[in-house]
Amino acid sequence: MKMLNAAILILVLFYPSLSTEWPTHTVCKENNLEIYYKSCDPVQDFALSIDGCSNILTNTFNIRAAMVLRQNIKELSMDINLIINGKSILAYSQKLCEPNSRRFIFCGKKKGEHIYYEGPVTLGIHEIPQGEYTVSVRLYNGDHLTVACADFTIKNK
Amino acid sequence: MFGREALSFSTCFVQSLATLFLSQLMASSLNPCTTNITYRCMELNLSGVPDEIPPSTQNLDLSFNPLESLTSNYFSAVPALRFLDLTRCHIQTIEDYAFEDLPNLLTLILTANPLWHLGPKAFYSLTSLQKLVAVEDNISSLADLPIGHLHTLQELNVATNNVDSLKLPKYFSNLTFLRFLSLQSNKISSISIGDLDVLQGEKGLNLTLVLSSNDIKYIQPGSFEGIHLHELSLRACFENTNVMKACIQGLAGLQVHRLVLGEFRNIQRVEDFSNGLLDGLCLVQLQEFVFICFKRFNNGTDTLFDCLGNTSTVRLVDLYLDQVSAVPTASRIHQLECKTCKFSEVPALKLSSFKELRLLRITKSKYLTGFQQKFVDLDNLEVLDLSENRLSFIKCCSFHLGGTPKLKHLNLSFNSIISVSGGLPLHELVSLDFQHSKLDNLGTVPVFVSLGKLIYLDISYTNTHVESQYVFCGLASLQVLKMAGNSFKDNNLGDSFKNLTQLLTLDVSSCKVIQVSLSTFSSLGKLQTLNISHNKLLTFDHPAYKPLQALTVLDFSSNQLTVLTENAQESLPSSLVHLDLSYNLFICSCNHLSFLKWAQEHGELLRSTELMVCISPEHLKNASVLNFDLSSCQLSAVLVAVYVGTALAGAVFLFLIYKYYFNLYYGLVLLSGCRRYADRGDTYDAFVIHSSKDIEWVRKELVETLERGVPPFHLCLHYRDFTPGVPIASNIIHEGFLSSRKVIAVISNHFMESKWCSFEFEIAQSWQFMEGRAGIILIVLEEVDKVLLRRKLGLSRYLKRNTYLEWKDREISRHLFWRQLRTALLDAGKWSRE
Repeated sequence: MKMLNAAILILVLFYPSLSTEWPTHTVCKENNLEIYYKSCDPVQDFALSIDGCSNILTNTFNIRAAMVLRQNIKELSMDINLIINGKSILAYSQKLCEPNSRRFIFCGKKKGEHIYYEGPVTLGIHEIPQGEYTVSVRLYNGDHLTVACADFTIKNK
Repeated sequence: MFGREALSFSTCFVQSLATLFLSQLMASSLNPCTTNITYRCMELNLSGVPDEIPPSTQNLDLSFNPLESLTSNYFSAVPALRFLDLTRCHIQTIEDYAFEDLPNLLTLILTANPLWHLGPKAFYSLTSLQKLVAVEDNISSLADLPIGHLHTLQELNVATNNVDSLKLPKYFSNLTFLRFLSLQSNKISSISIGDLDVLQGEKGLNLTLVLSSNDIKYIQPGSFEGIHLHELSLRACFENTNVMKACIQGLAGLQVHRLVLGEFRNIQRVEDFSNGLLDGLCLVQLQEFVFICFKRFNNGTDTLFDCLGNTSTVRLVDLYLDQVSAVPTASRIHQLECKTCKFSEVPALKLSSFKELRLLRITKSKYLTGFQQKFVDLDNLEVLDLSENRLSFIKCCSFHLGGTPKLKHLNLSFNSIISVSGGLPLHELVSLDFQHSKLDNLGTVPVFVSLGKLIYLDISYTNTHVESQYVFCGLASLQVLKMAGNSFKDNNLGDSFKNLTQLLTLDVSSCKVIQVSLSTFSSLGKLQTLNISHNKLLTFDHPAYKPLQALTVLDFSSNQLTVLTENAQESLPSSLVHLDLSYNLFICSCNHLSFLKWAQEHGELLRSTELMVCISPEHLKNASVLNFDLSSCQLSAVLVAVYVGTALAGAVFLFLIYKYYFNLYYGLVLLSGCRRYADRGDTYDAFVIHSSKDIEWVRKELVETLERGVPPFHLCLHYRDFTPGVPIASNIIHEGFLSSRKVIAVISNHFMESKWCSFEFEIAQSWQFMEGRAGIILIVLEEVDKVLLRRKLGLSRYLKRNTYLEWKDREISRHLFWRQLRTALLDAGKWSRE
């Protein structure tokens, strides 16, 4: 599993950064759960992996994500949208970094710096809804410039 | 793959040109006199400084371009640079004098370049450099950095490198202005005596040293002995509790203004806050202690404050701390802040042990719901901030805050439900903030009575419904009242503010107000700022605003004004400098010309003018009021002349028709080819029956007007037209009735007395009956004697049943009389023809 993650990571980081249409990456492919993602930031792709897909169903799971910053993230916010059939059903927004309390180690990093985040993520939901849908995640900084953007396609049978 | 890269290259080229062009355009549009000083050339596949960039450039971003190596005099084309960004430029080599000719450069960013060769004179001639960022640059030792001559350097960031020792090289003693040194995320595993020798004495007094995210295993006691620092940050440095405890003890002897300990959300390695973890701090002199992102407090925190006795400020941020345990009796903490902690109840009793406390903040704690304890004997507490929690409590606040007699600032904003009752016994209170917490009981009873010193009150969006005019009683010093998003009785501001004579700022926006009373602002003579936007006001009742003679800012936006009347325009206070009328329902028609004109003349007074739009008429919807074409309301002179001319001509035409109606009628009759006389053998138009005593009138008026006028009528008059020698009766029949189309009877008192007249009239009546046509025209010459009239029963009845003409000796009456008579004479002819 770790080898696979590393392979994805390397592949993504060295992918020519001049393309605008990014490939779809697979996060999970198990019997009843499939998760894919595609970067929606025209500037760059990023790498993400989850340690053991089945853990998503438990409360907390570990993710690894890596990317090179194109913007400063003294302030960082995250918007999450649940989209079913092209309609936004649920929206959630959270501030990850504030100038005066740097909760995460990546807070305060500047343009050009490399981020490697490895840590637990709590979804705060107890089960993943059935069906096929899209979760759009966008990270943006204090100037509302996109830091990272991804559309996750989730198929839960 | 090749095809895509080729394509991308051409795109970049165009993009670079476009970027340059655009940036130049923007600069020239801003100020045509200065040339552009900022160029952003990020990720354009450049391999050097582009030739298009002028020498006057001050800020240059060349990040994400493959520059590979910087040779000497690399930037000689841009000598005025103050900011240079070389992030991720694949730079491996920086040769000597690479930055020659950049004496003004203040900031140099070299983030993420795999530097393996740095010439010893690489940074020469950077005589003004203040900030050097060398993050992710493969630097393995501070000694390798040839920066000892950069005397002006203030900020040095060497984070995320391979530096394995904190040994500060000797050259640091030259960097006397250095204020910030970051060695975050390096490979420093131990700190030894002598590492910080160059900072001995007071040399590091202003220095912030960041060592977070180094895996520090050991700090030799004495390493920090005699060192003064402004700030030392040691987050996520220790792999477990024991190492942390030992390392903190290694800080002994340090004097620091602010010490930051803790971890990060995603890096939690220390297993537990065991008792004695921070004991080492007893040997550190610090003014401010920040403990941040620490999760595991399983074994209690009895010793948390043990060694913070001389610290004046303690900030606990993002801690999983759910209670305050023991507090040392002699604590001298002045300021205590708990942000995003896990308290479920305001630990007021425990916190009351901090006798010296002047400021207490417990904020952003989403589990904090209860406030049941009271603060006791906190004689020095001046600021209490409990905002952005989920507090829900009743009987605020005489019980809770009875022991804080000097409290000046109380912030309970952004909580759940607070029930205010029993008055607030906080006589020294200067500011009070309840915004966005739901307040119970406010609005009906006066609760601010004892707050005579209060200057600032914010009860915005507190669900308050102001019912009583005494709500703000006692606020004699209040200068700022913010109460947006509440409501008033009957949606009328009423007399709510009548005691607030010192008020300078009032915000009653979004209060559903539909009416302002005449007396609402009567005591607000000092008011400078009034925000009454987002209400439902239809008019600007200028007499109500008259007392606001000191007003400088008035926000009347988002109401339902259709116009600002002339009276209102004139009565606006002369001190006004800022008037916002945007988002109203202005009607841009010529009826409101004076307002539209006024608005265009007062552009400097009005704010957000682009949002002052018309709501009607339809074709001007959403057009700016200031763009209304005033000239469209002024008619052109030619048009006016044409209108007036047409109207005059029309009037003259109608007058002429009126005047020559009979001529025209007669002409028309003649033209139609109807020869009445010939066809029907009628000699006369009318036979006149009259008393011989009225002959004067008949001759002078009747004959004169009808026979000499147009059309000329031919009358049969007995004194003129009767054939002599023929009996009168025969004459009457033959000459009179049989030869005339009409009979005119001139009724007067003489007429009634005359027997001949009666005879003639009776014959006329029977003749009219026989012929079957309306032939008799009665003219009543004078006021007829009623008694006589009654005697002549036939005549009386006839007069009652038929219309008759009355002769009156007045100009208008005469005119009408003749018109009627002529019409009658002509009309009968026509009628008879059919």
